[in-house]
Amino acid sequence: MTSGLSAALAIAKKDILTQFRKRFEVFSMFLFALIAVLAFSFAVVTGGAVPQEIGSALLWVIIFFTGMFGFAPIFLSESETGTLRGLATAPIPAWSVYLGKVIYGFFLMALVEIFLVPIIMVLFGFSLLNDAPLALATLLVGTLDLAAVGSMASALTMPSESKATVFPLVYFPTATSALMLLIEITKIIVLGPGLVPVLLIFEILLAHLIAMLTLSASVFHFALSP
Amino acid sequence: MIFLGITAAISLLYVYMTWIFAPPDVVLGENVRIFFQHVAPALVSYGLFGGTLLCGVMYLWKGDLKYDILGAVTIKLGLLFTTITLLSGMIWADAAWGTPWNWDPRETTTLILWVAYACILAYRASVSDREARAQFGSIFGIVAFPMVILSYLSIRIWETLHPIVIEPSGLQMEVEHMMTLLVAMIAVTMIALIMVELSYKVDSANEKLMRIRMERS
Repeated sequence: MTSGLSAALAIAKKDILTQFRKRFEVFSMFLFALIAVLAFSFAVVTGGAVPQEIGSALLWVIIFFTGMFGFAPIFLSESETGTLRGLATAPIPAWSVYLGKVIYGFFLMALVEIFLVPIIMVLFGFSLLNDAPLALATLLVGTLDLAAVGSMASALTMPSESKATVFPLVYFPTATSALMLLIEITKIIVLGPGLVPVLLIFEILLAHLIAMLTLSASVFHFALSP
Repeated sequence: MIFLGITAAISLLYVYMTWIFAPPDVVLGENVRIFFQHVAPALVSYGLFGGTLLCGVMYLWKGDLKYDILGAVTIKLGLLFTTITLLSGMIWADAAWGTPWNWDPRETTTLILWVAYACILAYRASVSDREARAQFGSIFGIVAFPMVILSYLSIRIWETLHPIVIEPSGLQMEVEHMMTLLVAMIAVTMIALIMVELSYKVDSANEKLMRIRMERS
């Protein structure tokens, strides 16, 4: 268990270091997110402002789409450079490879979010500070959930012939449930308590994260075996 | 053959009970008849998607291609029954709420469910290697399942227009409607089972044909 975790951390560290050498990927993701903000603004800005509930919902829609850029190459790059075989034959459990990639995906997305979330809050005119601890917990769990789904989606894309087209097809079905819950929680944080208790939705989100992590980790060795 | 005969008899009973036996509802009036064509396919489609999950687990466990063929069949038929659920739901919504589509959480999550499982079919089609398609398709069928649970729970999570019929305390409806729903459930499940068997036979034969073609070429 401990060796599996340290292997996962080593894989995440390797990917993060490679990412820092390239840099352009994070920057491209950030720019894509800004382009999405602008594109959405054409549709939703009325009278110089965006309704708060729409702005807060768009935050997650933009993160969801930005994830497509960040998560798609997680395994594809390994597959293209031929290093996947090395990971598959390494004397470490398969779930640690998956976990390492999830940590890397989370780090990548979190790095973008540090800059993106405040910018979107200012541009779309809403505040997550009404319930800062819950907002932070939602961002952490939500990003981890999307990274868990995105990493699995990237692994599933490997045997496909049309990889670029197929990634969204795999990412969408598995990530949409999280997206719906995240939008709902963020709306409640921004607008104040509604009829539905926010903690119930947060618990379902947490359950979704745990379900995705355990389901994916337990079947991941099948995705690595030829 | 006996199963086919029993299914035909129960299906006839289902038609009779839906259109003649079941009395008009106090609130919904005659529209209540759509309810039976809506709930039964909905529950059967959840069952079929559950079958996809089960077939995925069985394929990964046993490595037998028959589970993969069966898994693909459950996706196709699950999509068919979800389509029936969506369409009957739209007819009912039009009668009860004035518009066929209200972006109600149950409607939305059911549509997402349809798109999600259609994505699995599209994904499977994009993998040409047969073993890889079975292996990765099975994994996809397993990790997509939480969406089915969310779709089922959606009316309990969000504010909804959709009536909650199945309560922990039991079914909230008249006895005649409950009996009709029970017959509808049995009939639709049996029809679905026959369709699963037929589609499985056709797909297995197709699979064999493909293999023979590949061996010859």
